[in-house]
Amino acid sequence: MKQIQLITLLFFFLLLSGCVEREILDEIILMEGIGFDYVEGGDITGTILYPDYKKETEPENVTYSATGEIMKTILQDIERQAARPIAFGSLEIVIFDLELAKKRGILDLIDAFQRDPAIGSGIYLAISENKAKELFKGEYGLRGNARFISMLIDHNIRHEDLPKTNLQRFMGDFYQQGKTPYLPLIKQNSKTKIELSGVALLKYGKIVDVVSNEQSFFFKLLADKYSNGLHRVEVDGKEAAVQSIISTNRFELTSRDPLHITVHIKIGGTINEFTGNKLTDSFIKKIEKKFEKEIQKHCTQLIKRFQEKEIDPIGFGHFVKSKTRNFDFNQWWDSEYSQMEVTIKPVVTIDEEGIIE
Amino acid sequence: MNRGVVMNKPIPEQKKVAPFMLFYIVASIQIGVGILSFQRDLVKVTGYDGWISIIINGIGTIILIWMIVQMTTTIEGDLLDIVSFSLGKWISKLIGLFYMLYFSLFSITVLRNYVEMIQVWMFPKLPIFWFSLVILLLVLYVVYGGFRTVAGISFFSFFLPMYIFPLFLFTVPHADFTNLLPIFDHSVKELFFGSYQMSLSILGFESILFVYPFLKEPKKAIKWAYLAIIFTISIYLYLALLSFSYFSEAQLVKNHWPTLTMWKIIRLPFVERFEYIGIATWCLIVLPNICISLWIASRLAKQIFFIRQKQALLFISGIVLIVTSMIMKRSQVLFVSQLLGKIGFFANYCFIPILYFITMFAKKVKKQ
Repeated sequence: MKQIQLITLLFFFLLLSGCVEREILDEIILMEGIGFDYVEGGDITGTILYPDYKKETEPENVTYSATGEIMKTILQDIERQAARPIAFGSLEIVIFDLELAKKRGILDLIDAFQRDPAIGSGIYLAISENKAKELFKGEYGLRGNARFISMLIDHNIRHEDLPKTNLQRFMGDFYQQGKTPYLPLIKQNSKTKIELSGVALLKYGKIVDVVSNEQSFFFKLLADKYSNGLHRVEVDGKEAAVQSIISTNRFELTSRDPLHITVHIKIGGTINEFTGNKLTDSFIKKIEKKFEKEIQKHCTQLIKRFQEKEIDPIGFGHFVKSKTRNFDFNQWWDSEYSQMEVTIKPVVTIDEEGIIE
Repeated sequence: MNRGVVMNKPIPEQKKVAPFMLFYIVASIQIGVGILSFQRDLVKVTGYDGWISIIINGIGTIILIWMIVQMTTTIEGDLLDIVSFSLGKWISKLIGLFYMLYFSLFSITVLRNYVEMIQVWMFPKLPIFWFSLVILLLVLYVVYGGFRTVAGISFFSFFLPMYIFPLFLFTVPHADFTNLLPIFDHSVKELFFGSYQMSLSILGFESILFVYPFLKEPKKAIKWAYLAIIFTISIYLYLALLSFSYFSEAQLVKNHWPTLTMWKIIRLPFVERFEYIGIATWCLIVLPNICISLWIASRLAKQIFFIRQKQALLFISGIVLIVTSMIMKRSQVLFVSQLLGKIGFFANYCFIPILYFITMFAKKVKKQ
């Protein structure tokens, strides 16, 4: 009796294994990047990028492009050009061209990425100053272009001035009523070089403003709980490069009427480079003071700018909401946000100065 | 005389299970498919205050368990004994029939939801019928082994998938815990409605009413029942707090399976997408759900219609298989789930308290 049961069970398992579609790695295209470009007239050109692995050489970057209205029709067109089915599972990077992000908005294109269960929420979205099609055709690294771009973003989040970003954070910020999302902005310098050129700030899927590389250090101080990065401070004609090792920010609601928020920023850093002769304690004090002043100036400027453009990438709205019961977002965006006063209170401590005086 | 004995022969000692097994039975039937999407319905009503609703619901459920324990220990029997003691034999058959259908619907809902999950997340072409057939064959195999095997399966299905729960912590680096503030941003009415929504997800503890006669030293098992509720409530709280801080409110409402979507952030060097492993593991969580509910349904059929439990089980599984394969669309799956939720709410949160008061009253009257 037991044996018969076991045999029937095994029989059905064998039967069932034929019920679903097989996907063998060598017989599919593992798309790693996808890009969208604006075309005159409102259509979009989509370009997919995948590495074609060959024996003993670097993978070749292969791209396919098609033009259409929504992402899936573009993909359908691309499938018509491809010899193997395209799989989404290892997608790493989605690029939107700047013109598209300015004129048409990118929201309707992102829907498909959220909806597809095969796509992770840790993928990076980025905006490119060049056409995505051109961007993908370059040769940037040994591991394929998509890997290179995603590693570039990852590295800059971990060690430099780019605040944390990925698909989940972008969508989370978008759906959060008291916040607007941001995305990294990249630029192709030559056929083999790309660079991060700033942070794009969006509202309803369209680019409203761009934070330049010079200011992205200050932007990260505000937008990200922890950050590191390098900033150059000039005191008495001598320059010092201060590397922030740990930094934290804390928001405080100092008064409700009129609305006033204090942002406490704490930085602990070391001096990496100094053009003067000797670093004395009193001079380090001066550098700290100067650095604090600059943080104050730049951060206040940034916030003023955000208020004018009615965007809130830092999430002040969300912060005030978390302190207020029955919070009214309509009123917030109508009047409160633009009238809000923000004071920045930075504290910089330079603990180390490298291995020489 | 105790009239319950008319219907039930006492259970032989070798068919009973140790008291602590009640913990695994209750915990494993409570954690099923509801846990994958409960945040969504909760947030629709209570926003980020949903966790308060979970606690309210937990307290309510503990009170219900207390009532169940009071009834089972005074009557020393299962639900049918209790009802026939307080309301008479015929009503007990009617109630038994109701619970039989309810537990059959329970297994249909769990099975169909699981199949849907596989279809959407992994294999769109998976045929409902064949997959359900294989799962049900497995369930038949388990339930044929008797109650001890069913309890054993729930024991394993509790421990084997345990590794899944710490994996949700991958969301913490992207979480914003200030989302939870301000606390009590919703009215008491909304919070209670939220805990009603919650009650749909933690159905299953009423199984205590049916497994009671199968416990050795039932008095010792009581504390395990309470512990099981505390355990499931804390699992739900844990997932709620993580998903509330990870998703923003509108985003959470958009997601069909927030618990699964949280896994999308996981990226391990050896596996690109964790959901595939997770959903496969979920089979182990779903299995005891179906086993226990079909065991209860078939046992009720045995008690009501005086047929052999194995025959009843075959018949009920056949119906479950047919109904499961007839549910085609997502809207229908949702409809069945909501139907089960409503019936379950009535069966647990309305019927059990009423039965409790009637039983206590009947006991007093009979004493005099």
